[in-house]
This record gives sequence, structure tokens and C-alpha cells, in this order.
Amino acid sequence: MSSIAGIRARRNELRVSLLRLLDTLSMPVLAIVLGFVGGALIIWMTSGSLETVFAAYAGMLGGAFLKTRGLSETFVAMTPYVFLGLGLAVGFKAGLFNIGAEGQFYIGAISAVWAGIVFTGLPTFIHLPLVILAGAVGGAIWAGIPALLKVRTGAHEVITTMMMNYIAFRLTEYLVSYPLRDAKSSAVQTLRVSPNAELWSLYQVPQRLQDPLNALFVALVLAFIGWTIAEWIFLRPKWVARWTRARRHALTVGIGLIVGLVTFFVLPPLTRAWWLVTDPYDRMHIGIVMALIAAVAVWRLMWKTTVGFEMRVVGANPDAAKYAGINSARTVIITMLISGGLAGIAGTIEVLGVSICRCLPLFFSSGYGFDSIAIALIAKNNPIGIVGAAFLFGAMRNGADLMELQSGVSKYVISLIQALVLLFVAAPAMVRWMLRMKAARDVETEQLTRGWGA
Amino acid sequence: MTPALQATGITKRFPGVVANDRVDFDLQPGEIHGLLGENGAGKTTLMNILYGLYQPDEGTLALNGTPVQVTSPHDAIAQGIGMVHQHFMLVPPLTVTENIMLGQESLRPATRFLGPLAALDRRHAAQRIRELSHQYRLDVEPEAYVKDLPVGVQQRVEIVKALYRRAEILILDEPTAVLTPQEADELFVIMRELAKQGKSIVFITHKLREMFAVTDRISVMRGGKMIGTVTPQQATSEMLAEMMVGRKVILQVDKAPAQPGELVLRVEHLQTQDDRHVTTVHDVSFQVRAGEILGIAGVQGNGQRELVEALTGLRHIVGGNVTLLGHDITHARPRRITELGTGHVPEDRHKHGLVLSFPVRDNLVLCTYYQSPFARGVEIDDYAIRERAQKLVTEFDIRTPSITTPAGSLSGGNQQKVIVARELDRPVKLLIANQPTRGLDVGSIEFIHRRIVQARDQGAAVLLVSAELDEIMALADRIAVMYKGHILETLDANQATREQLGLLMAGVKGGTHV
Repeated sequence: MSSIAGIRARRNELRVSLLRLLDTLSMPVLAIVLGFVGGALIIWMTSGSLETVFAAYAGMLGGAFLKTRGLSETFVAMTPYVFLGLGLAVGFKAGLFNIGAEGQFYIGAISAVWAGIVFTGLPTFIHLPLVILAGAVGGAIWAGIPALLKVRTGAHEVITTMMMNYIAFRLTEYLVSYPLRDAKSSAVQTLRVSPNAELWSLYQVPQRLQDPLNALFVALVLAFIGWTIAEWIFLRPKWVARWTRARRHALTVGIGLIVGLVTFFVLPPLTRAWWLVTDPYDRMHIGIVMALIAAVAVWRLMWKTTVGFEMRVVGANPDAAKYAGINSARTVIITMLISGGLAGIAGTIEVLGVSICRCLPLFFSSGYGFDSIAIALIAKNNPIGIVGAAFLFGAMRNGADLMELQSGVSKYVISLIQALVLLFVAAPAMVRWMLRMKAARDVETEQLTRGWGA
Repeated sequence: MTPALQATGITKRFPGVVANDRVDFDLQPGEIHGLLGENGAGKTTLMNILYGLYQPDEGTLALNGTPVQVTSPHDAIAQGIGMVHQHFMLVPPLTVTENIMLGQESLRPATRFLGPLAALDRRHAAQRIRELSHQYRLDVEPEAYVKDLPVGVQQRVEIVKALYRRAEILILDEPTAVLTPQEADELFVIMRELAKQGKSIVFITHKLREMFAVTDRISVMRGGKMIGTVTPQQATSEMLAEMMVGRKVILQVDKAPAQPGELVLRVEHLQTQDDRHVTTVHDVSFQVRAGEILGIAGVQGNGQRELVEALTGLRHIVGGNVTLLGHDITHARPRRITELGTGHVPEDRHKHGLVLSFPVRDNLVLCTYYQSPFARGVEIDDYAIRERAQKLVTEFDIRTPSITTPAGSLSGGNQQKVIVARELDRPVKLLIANQPTRGLDVGSIEFIHRRIVQARDQGAAVLLVSAELDEIMALADRIAVMYKGHILETLDANQATREQLGLLMAGVKGGTHV
């Protein structure tokens, strides 16, 4: 093929994908707008005054963004949503309706607490990854059991994950009340996790980085990320053609090293001189950074790896997957392990970064796991979309209290709005009809998830 | 003479396409009018307009000289237009009478006051069915259950259903697709009888031979336009094919005599079951050598699907064994069979062959995505996939807006080309093609046939399963006929005749029914 034709083909491809992107974006955005319009109508109808509507939405905005620590609390609330939404999206993509995220979240939390209590005296750079790993493994096991049952017996994961939820709740209650209970505390809660296993709040970062081991740890992580990104960039054919393999590797490793060294030597003094969080009561923690990294990682997993390809084929057409020689059973198990692992990390972060006692109290209600189903659906299982939807849900969760306080509108109105948004996302035909829009042509009909019987 | 049906200047636009562009069509009383065209030529749109499923954007319809509007299928039936769909609209557990009454139930007069609870008047309905059946020699038994009837008879039930609703005009949409050659001939006799008694028939098909066998006039559509109307006496196959495709078409597959080489596939006493655990393949044995095409002929549903699925690892084998190039693959997983050098063009391209929501480029590597150069370890190399996709799209003339277009929005022919391109892209030693050209247009059929012969000439063993006898006769070097899960006979393609194969397909061997 001549290079001009090649360029033209590339340009055409780019144009098509851009159009498709616009098309994919327009529906969720419209759904969100309509959801809020619907919410306004309901508030107006129940209160009878337009002022209440404005007061309610002003309160919600104020609570979510403007009040002291409003925005950072929104980020705090958004973090578990991102992990859970990603976990569910991975499942949905593979055609698995994992509604046990809430249970996996609990098991992740309790596993992390266990690992945070049992091991003592470990340095942060070992203990923190260990605790997160424990949380992920806990969640993964909890999701792995329904996966095994599905593969072995055909038991539908909707039923089994839901049942596993209740086991998780009761098991967590037992562990909190007896083996892991802090006997000295009047409240029923677990022992406090080792300070080295805590997730750093952003406020703590400068202080934590004073420990050279911690600085080294952060430097290593960033060096690894730098190296990975460099690998992605320099594997484009343009660069592959230009350089030998050895040269490319030298370059990418070099970039990673430089990132690491710069981080190690520059970051600690820099953060001491200037840091964006100076409020000691600000709860925003490094989990949000982890969430963003996880979103990119899940995106890579789904779209740039053979494992992700297999998951998507199994989800989109199980018969074709069998035809293509894909081991569906293995794919189902891997998918559920990843899905549960992400949910487990969400639970871990909630305990290690948010809970004030840095422990798991008996009454640890979240509802995060169920909200996340809506998040994954609104985002149409797209990792970037999940970050956006999680932000929206986090903001609403965070703004609800001030809304109730300022306008007298019950904070449960936000659930109503979320339900409306979900409804509009699930029924694009209805939105098109309401807005008198023409049906989109030639657009990939994204299957959110297969139904019960599938 | 006033035409029974006249369509003038019919135009129908769908977003982005003009499906019918000022189409004129007329049907004389007592005429069998053949409508020919590739997929997407606009035949179905035109018929759906006649049957009231669509409203034309422009143009008029007239029945017996009177302008009419057909607003719904219900309306079409009321105005005497009946349609027999390619896929039958029958309820298997009900009797013929019940099926025919469905939607137009006659009630016993004495119970009519009960409204919706009134008793059905099966006796009178059955009586009328018997009369119609006798009048048009349809040979339909009103008390029989539809599920017990062979496909050919079910089709006649559909025709009776239309006649029962006093249809004067019958539209038959690809009625021969599911029939053996003999059953098709029986259908033609019935069609002529109907025409003789004054019914007008629109006959849609893509088989040129049938056009000559039964029609009075032939109209050809291409790209939404009516290209022309000819009589069978004036027309030749080449001419019709050219009208259909818009260019010269080579109908005859050019192929040199086979040069069979080493033994590639050996199947011994194979036995397998369908999804309901009914044994549908009994004791099947055959061999395929490199450089030859073994055709498996037979009416659909005689175990071909289960046979192919068993050979490709998609179905559990109950008895017997399968050897591929000396490796026992009786219980091998699909991936191992693929890796040993098998290419498989599956029967159902939507179910197995493609992931419709995935872009063309991903579908082109559906079986090899994990191998070099498309992946290093678990990491997928998008650039390698894109490059290969672009190469295959050009090489196999896949008409697609871009390689990122979802496979589901391509036409059937191009979807099939995606599969064939993918399966022939690796060095195949055995190609298994099940119904590789079903529902495709002439141009795509020609292309895929050439590719199959080419694969043979490059030394692949080819197992071709098809219900289209023409296809088997054009391509195969040896022909095995499958009937009710058995291979009745294997013939040399040079010596086999259409009649002989047709009889075997109907289960008649050596003058006796098996």
C-alpha cells in the first residue's frame, strides 16, 4: 500500500473513531442532565416551590465543592467508587453480573485490617503493599468462589454473589466483634492497624517522605510507571523502525531511572517547601492517585492485552469465544478474581485511608458496592467514564447532607436522581424520543451486560 | 389486460441509502413473476412495501387497476396479498388447522355470545383446508401436527394459510432455500397449478436455474433500481448474472483435476449428539486428502452441523475417532485443532464466526490474537493487528468503511469474507467450510469459491459442507451424501448426477428408502 493511501486510511479511521467517541459521550451526558432535570421536577412537585429546587441544588453544589474541604471530601468519596466501578465493568465486559461487590468490599476491608494488625514492625514500603495485597486477595477469593461455582456447576453469578454478600456481612461482623476486636475501646471495632500500613493522607505526604525508605518506595513506584509509559510510547511502529530493540530498552529503562532519581532527590524537599494540602483535617489521601492509575491499568488490561481480549470476546459472544479456542472457564475465573480484587482494594482504601480510627467498626455501612453498579452502567464500562461517573456520584454523596440542611429536601433525593440517570442511560431510545433526536446510525451497539438467563 | 398488481415509481429511503429508487413492477393475473437480485438489491424492501410493512416515500400501488394503499400486513391480507416468508411463521405444537386459523379464528355460532371464550370451529376450518388442498393439489392434512411435518409440507401449510385468507397474490420469499431439489420441483408443480387457476405469484430467489424452471417473466434488481424485465426464453444465465451484478460473472468454477496427496483427515465411526442428546451423527467414516475437496451434500438438519462441530472440537464426540495429520484429535480442544492447521468457516457466521460488536480488525485475528506478531506475551500489538487487517481487507476485497467498523454493520457477503480471510490467512492444512456461501450475493459466492479452490490447489485438504447442490457439484472432487446422520454414499464428482444426488439427499438408495 502506498504511504498516501495509508495516511488516508489512518485519517479516515481517526475520523470514524472521533465520531464514535462523540456519539458515546453524548448519551451519558444527556442522561445526567435529564436526571437532574427530573430531580428538579420531583423536588418542585413535592415542595411546591421553585426556590426549594434552587436551594437544594445550590446546597448540593456547595456541599460537594465549595464548603471547606468540600472538593477533597468529594475525591475521598469518589475513590472507592472508581475501584468498585472498574471491578464491575471488568465483569460486565466479560458478561458477568457481579453484584457481590459490596461483599467483596467488606471482605477486602477486613482482610486488610487483619494484615494491618497481625504484622507489626514492618516498614511502610513492605507493609502498605502487603495490606493492599491482602485486601485484593480477600476480595478476589470472595468473587472467586462464585466463579468456581459457575464454571463447575453453572450456578448463576447473580444469585451466588448476592448470597456471598450476606455471608460477607455476617462474617465481618463476627470478626469485628470477636477475634479482631479492640477490647479497650467502648465501641465495637477492630484494633487499629499499624501506622506503617495506613494509607497516607495527602497532608502527611511531606512528612512521610522524610523517611528515606518511603521516598525510595515512592521513587521506585514512579520509576516503574515512567518506564511503563515510555515502553508504550516507544513501541509505536515509528520508533520501532528507527531503533534497535537494545537501544529502545536502554532508552525506556533510562527514562524510568531518571524519573526515579528525580523523585527520590527532588520530591521530598519540594513537598516540604510547598504542598497543596496544608489542612491537617483534610482527609484526601493517595488512594485517589491509586484509583486513577487503576483506571489506566484496567483500560490497558481490557483493550491492550490478550487476557482483556478474551474477556471481551467471552462477554460479547460466548459461542464465538469457544470457536476461537478461548478457554471460557479460565476467563470467567480470571475476570471474577480481578473484579473481586478491585472491590477488595476499594474496601482496603476505605479502612486504611478514610476511617477515622484506622480500623473497622461494627457498623461499617457503605452502600458503595451497590451504587457502583449504576456507575459502571452509566460509564458503559469505560474506565475513563467510570472516573467521571464516580466523581459525579462522589459529589452527590458528599453534597447531599448540606442540601438537606439548607433546603430541607431529604438527602435520599440523590438516589432518585441517580436512578433517573441510570434509567436514561439504560433506555437511550427514550432519551432520543424525549429530545426528538434521530437514531444514531452505524454505531457499535454496546451491550452493557447479558441478562439473567445468559 | 389490467395487471393484478402494479407498483409505479416506488422510492423508499432509509437513513443513508435509497433502498428502492423509482422502481416499477407489475404482476399479471395468473403469472409467476421471478424477482432476482443480490442481497441488498432492494427485493425485500419492495416486497415489504407490497405487504404493508413499509410505506413508500414516493410512488403508487394499484390492485387490478385501482390505486390502493397498503398500510399493514393485516391490510395486505384483507386486500388479497399473501406472503410466505423464508422462515416459517408456524407454531410447531399446534395442528395444521389451528395454525391456519391463528389470527382469523372461526367460532362455533352457538357459542359466539361468549366473546373471547367462544369455542373454535375447527371442523369447518378443516373442511375448507381440505377443499383448498384438493383444489390446488397441495396435499395437506388438516389434523396433522406441524412439528411432525417435513419442511416441504410445512411450506405448503404456509401457502394454504395464505389461500385460506383468500389471497389472490402470493409472495414467496426464497422458498427453495430449505428444500431438496426434488421438493423444489414439487413446489414448482404447485406454483404452476396455482397460476393456472388464476393466482398471481411473485417468486424471489437467487438461484438462476429456478428462474428458468418456473417463471413467466423475470425482473432483476440491483442497487435499489429495477434493471429490467425479461422472459426466460430471451434470457441466459450469464445475462441474468450480469444484470444482477453489473459486470460479467464467471459462473463456472475453473478448476483443474484434484491431485490428492497425503492423508490429512481421517474420521472413523464418528458418533455424536445434538444439544438435546439425540444422536444425530451415526457411525460416519471418511477421509480427506491434501489437495482434494470432499463435499458433504444433504438437506440441512441431517447431522452436518453436529459433524462439523465434532471435527472442530466444539462438540463432544460420543464414539469413534478423528485423526488429523497423524494426531488423534477426537477429544482435543478447539485451539489445539486450530493450531494443528485447521481453518474453519462456521455455518452460522453470527453465532460462531464473528463477534458482531467488535471491529473488523479484531475479528480478523479472532483465532490468532495471542500469537506473534499480534501479541508479545499478554500484550497486544495494535499496530501489527491494524497492518494485517489492512492487508487482508485489500487482499480479500472486504468492503468496509474502515477496519474499525463493527463487523455487524457489514453486509453478509463482506462478513463472510472477513471469516474466510481470517481462516485462510494462516497456513491451513485442513479447511472445513460449512455453508460458506449461504445467503450471499453472486459476486461474493464467486470470490469465496475461487478462494476455496485456491486453498485446495495450495495443498490443503478441504471439507465442504453445503445444502446447495450446485455449490457441491461445482467445487467438490468427491461427494458424500448425508442423510439422517449417516453417509449414504460417496461418489466421484465427475460421475454424480443431480438426480442421483437428489434421491440420496431424500434418503433413497438403490431404489429403496433408507
